[in-house]
Amino acid sequence: MKLPPVRSTAAVLALTASLALTGCGQSNDQPDPDASGGAGATLTVWFPGNDPAEVRQVEDVIIPAFESATGAQVEATFVDWGDLSTKLSAAFASGAAPDLFGHGAAAVADYAVNERILPLTDYVARWSAEDRQDLSAALPGGTVDGVQYMIPLRMDGQLLAYDKADFRAAGLDPEQTFDSWEAIRAAAEQLTVRAADGSITRSGLLMATDPIGRQQSFATLVQAAGGRQVDQSGKVDFDTSAGLAALDFYTGLYLGQSGQPAVASGVGVPYSSNAPEQQPLVLDTASITMLNGNGIQKIADAKPDFEIGVIAPAGLTAGDAPAAFGGPGPGLMINAETKHPDLAWQFITHLVQPEVNLDYIKTFGGVPVRLSAASDPYVTGNPIMTALVEALPHLRPNPNVPGWVQARDTMDQYLEQALNAKAANAELLSQMAAAVDTVLTQSR
Amino acid sequence: MTAQAETRTAPAPVPRRRGWSRLHLAGLAMAAPATIFILVFSLIPVVYGLYLSLTRYNPLRRGGPEWIGLSNYASLADSPQFWRALGVTGLFVLMVLPPTVLIATGLAVLVNVRVPGIGAIRSALYIPNIISLTAVSMIWLWMYSQHGLFNQIFAWFGLPEQALLYDERTALAAAAVMRVWKALGSNMVLLLAGLQSIPNELYEAARVDGAGKAAQFRHVTVPGLRPMLVFVIAMDIIYLSQSFAEIYVLTQGGPLASTTTVNYLIYTTAFQYNQFGLSSAMAFVLFAFVAGLSVITMRNRTGDRP
Repeated sequence: MKLPPVRSTAAVLALTASLALTGCGQSNDQPDPDASGGAGATLTVWFPGNDPAEVRQVEDVIIPAFESATGAQVEATFVDWGDLSTKLSAAFASGAAPDLFGHGAAAVADYAVNERILPLTDYVARWSAEDRQDLSAALPGGTVDGVQYMIPLRMDGQLLAYDKADFRAAGLDPEQTFDSWEAIRAAAEQLTVRAADGSITRSGLLMATDPIGRQQSFATLVQAAGGRQVDQSGKVDFDTSAGLAALDFYTGLYLGQSGQPAVASGVGVPYSSNAPEQQPLVLDTASITMLNGNGIQKIADAKPDFEIGVIAPAGLTAGDAPAAFGGPGPGLMINAETKHPDLAWQFITHLVQPEVNLDYIKTFGGVPVRLSAASDPYVTGNPIMTALVEALPHLRPNPNVPGWVQARDTMDQYLEQALNAKAANAELLSQMAAAVDTVLTQSR
Repeated sequence: MTAQAETRTAPAPVPRRRGWSRLHLAGLAMAAPATIFILVFSLIPVVYGLYLSLTRYNPLRRGGPEWIGLSNYASLADSPQFWRALGVTGLFVLMVLPPTVLIATGLAVLVNVRVPGIGAIRSALYIPNIISLTAVSMIWLWMYSQHGLFNQIFAWFGLPEQALLYDERTALAAAAVMRVWKALGSNMVLLLAGLQSIPNELYEAARVDGAGKAAQFRHVTVPGLRPMLVFVIAMDIIYLSQSFAEIYVLTQGGPLASTTTVNYLIYTTAFQYNQFGLSSAMAFVLFAFVAGLSVITMRNRTGDRP
């Protein structure tokens, strides 16, 4: 697909200007200045995921504009999320890693401690103070021990989406707000539909219970209870009263708790990555579900007649501060062995330019990486996106510590046992803390 | 016999030529490509894998593998996760192997007839074998899904919806059912070949001796089929012990690790946690496990005793 001439010219001019202002300067403490300025060089980039709309935007718009402005060639590869870590490990081991690659925040620390990626703090310092402020919600998601290693390209978060029609049918106000998860659960009890034998045919409140989803659900609830997953020194900090309250609430949704009936069924059944038409909300097998921003927007886009609402992050009880899992999403890192570090940085800079980034995330219904995008019609004209952007201050990402992927999977094993009532929650929480601490200690 | 006669009848000594003859060189040239291929793509990786199993190696770290001797094997001995995975692997083999062999034998007997269209039926039965295991797993994942074929059938019979892949009591069995279906075609063809290699004269002799169909099957077919049966069982053990694709697609090792086979554990250890040394050690223990079972099976074919 060719760019429209006017759009193409505008993109090239904007890129040239932005590179001149931000990316092309040199400082003495940066590695290997790219003397060629990029002309004739080939930059290899691995993007995480292979969403067709995203692929088209990158290949047909972003890369041609960058190539026109710099004279460089960009070879982009879109790697399925499931294969990304595997392929990167093999590529690093064989010395064939790309100049630039994308990944989620959970992977950054491992690449950083093994010196596989370049520190970007000095590069970021070259941006204007205005740019840095505009990206201030995203940048912390790419830091390890205070050093910037990744530049997030989008924001993301786990929020609750609900079916307004179900609310009305249950006698609830479809526009009501909730100040706590307990209040949401109370509404969920009214929304839950059961068969004659008592089995749940429509879940009132469905939180993710698939691998990875379990850890993200728990992270949301721990933080909503005023707790955290690890402390400042990187040690486990969820074996607390907040952690236990979060775990009790989570398992209680599926198993019932303290006389309260269960409000969800289908432990372990994944739904987050289902197509919009296969989402429990759309199929009417759930009235409230936890989804990421992208997933909520996809339902709204695919089902314009479906009345979907978004519940703002809440505390676990009425007195707790609202919080949820989320924040900076996937971003780009620069291979420490690249021959074109400055060119790679220019590419990153290009991708987070206001218009470029907005056009990029619009293609897949993402949340903009810049704070200033909150006033763009893409956000203000869309109640779903408005709710997502308003939730950003309350979103907390996973910690960027080495070994987090294994720590996350270790947490998942214990959370799965809790959801299947294999042991008491307090016992499993202690075991989980000890096991995760071992993983994190061995990974330092 | 005189000495003179002995001299006349003794074979003339063949002069031994030193060095390589053209025949030698031609043979070497023809064997070289396969030899090099096996050396480069099989033997050297196996030896390197054995070396890795004696090291600590994270491909993200610089500096290469670090020699730690048998520590990885000692870690495995103390790892309940690994022993459980070995148990799941063995259970999966046991769940798939007997029904596969029995059904495939039955099918082979059924299609071992000369009637019009039998070729098409044999081909149809073989089709599952030529489809990629990953593709088959994807199809069965959909069939097992909430709104998939199986739940439609359950609903038709008035049964409640089942999440077969997400229940620890049923997930491995659900994967095994798919694997049985997938393995039937190749086993049937091999057993059919085994059936057709049994001489007709044996059946004729049995009939002359008054043997009925059942007696013929028991005293002629089964013994005649035994070498092929042993081969099929040995190959199935080797393949099934290395199950990965179907587990990766259908269950990702869950729920509650009830479908985590050794090969799946090797994958996560190596490629998600970057512990290549430990995962290599797992691979060699699995190799020993598979080799042991295969040897036992093959000895039964020849009647050897340890």
